[in-house]
Amino acid sequence: MKIMAIAANTFKEAIRDRILYLLLAFAILMIGASRLLSLMTVGSEEKIVKDIGLASIALFGVAVAIFVGVGLVFKEIEKRTVYTLVSKPIRRSQFILGKYCGLVLVLAVNLAVMTAVFYLVLIQRGWMDWRLTGAIWLTFIELMLVTAIAILFSSFSTPILSSLFTVTFFIIGHLSWGLRLMADKVEGVAAKFLCEFFYRVLPNLELLNMRGRAVHGLELPESQMAFATLYGLSYTAVLLALAVATFRRRDFL
Amino acid sequence: MLRALQRRLIWPLAIVVPACAAAWSWDRLESAGSQDGPGASVLYLPSGRYLKAASLGFPEVLADAIYIWSIQYYSNYTAADRFAYLDHIYSGVITELDPHYVDPYLIGSLIMSTEAGDHEMALRLLDKGIAANPHEWILPFEAGFTCYNDIKDFQRAAAYFEKAIANPEAPGAIRRMHAEMFNKLGDKRASLDYWLEVHETADDAYVEDISWRHVHDLRIEIDLQTLREALEAWKSSPRGAGQYPQSLLELVRAGVISREPIDPDGVAYAYDPATGQVRSASPFRLYRRGPA
Repeated sequence: MKIMAIAANTFKEAIRDRILYLLLAFAILMIGASRLLSLMTVGSEEKIVKDIGLASIALFGVAVAIFVGVGLVFKEIEKRTVYTLVSKPIRRSQFILGKYCGLVLVLAVNLAVMTAVFYLVLIQRGWMDWRLTGAIWLTFIELMLVTAIAILFSSFSTPILSSLFTVTFFIIGHLSWGLRLMADKVEGVAAKFLCEFFYRVLPNLELLNMRGRAVHGLELPESQMAFATLYGLSYTAVLLALAVATFRRRDFL
Repeated sequence: MLRALQRRLIWPLAIVVPACAAAWSWDRLESAGSQDGPGASVLYLPSGRYLKAASLGFPEVLADAIYIWSIQYYSNYTAADRFAYLDHIYSGVITELDPHYVDPYLIGSLIMSTEAGDHEMALRLLDKGIAANPHEWILPFEAGFTCYNDIKDFQRAAAYFEKAIANPEAPGAIRRMHAEMFNKLGDKRASLDYWLEVHETADDAYVEDISWRHVHDLRIEIDLQTLREALEAWKSSPRGAGQYPQSLLELVRAGVISREPIDPDGVAYAYDPATGQVRSASPFRLYRRGPA
């Protein structure tokens, strides 16, 4: 209940920060792209509109997750509103989870509206393919994970550093396969072990990327979808637990 | 008064003067620019494999952007050495970023073949597309058409068309082209078999009619060829002693041919024992073949 109250408050705060203006930008981008592309390309209009739609949903979502996420906890500390909160019968874990749920709610609303605009454009052009929903679902899981990274860093660092760390993790998350390759190339047991260790420990966001398959109308195997969802949610849970553990150690009194 | 006017003008001037300078220099740079067309530096992009890593999970969007750029770039006929990096852009970059993106294979091979005149490069690109997208009939069809229309390699064309028709979604026209490639290669019997198959499975009157014309003419050509060979064999045999037989029935009786052939219209072939000439009484159905 307390978590929900904090989440609702975080949601309202984000709305007041005019986050939803992004949706307008997305709608303009989608409608504009679908109209302009016929002038620029030979064939492929459908594929390009779908690519742009899915990529925009993901990138707008990641931007919100990072830039709102990193300020969530820090803002409360900076404005000293956290003192009022921690002096009340609210656990630190409830505070972190409430903040997290609030931002996830913002992301869910954003994603739902962007998906609706995207689908409207596709339906209007006769290009609708419901398989895209699978890719959008995994994008949402990726956003949940990125938000958890942002909250973790936000619990002990400044917004600038937290955004740098989160963006770095986002990049690493899409390049972690490189560590596997590196493990094969480097010499020495320790170096190999380190590469392999980081490959397994760092988030692998490519596991949550089915956009290409969905756009090309390829099958999205149910087992792969289920395991990707489980991976994303489990990783998010670990990050949130770390964030709570870090935040509990902070002394506000 | 003057000072007030100065104060009022200073900021508009501070904006307008550099803006004019920027616009003027931009115009000068644009007019002095190279003939390579906008964004020519994209030509020197590294391999798509590296770009894929740098795209952070959005290689398809990057492939779209470079594909759209390539359409604009290769539509600019004034660009110097415009085909120098053609293979790199389509095979090395776009299709590496998104191997399932079919249009760049088609458009890239079209530019390679039609504009750059490098058919082998086009076929290499299409082969790459076929390997990455075995379910797309259009890619082997395009490769087959390039072999048939541009390099007149009917053997390769037939092999590509065969790949295309293995896909149940392939249009029936490809089966007709496949059948005709064997005719072009001189293998009329194989061609007849394929045309018969097209005829027997035709689902509209046009295909039924056109395939029947091919079957009709091929049968006549094969029969005429068989008869001419049999007549020459008779003539050079001890029984013929340098003479043609009096009738085609003699060839059957002697076991040179199994039966006297009848053309597809049910009419016997006309035979002149004096000259050994044999011809069909029925005209060919395809005008391009001329009289039988």
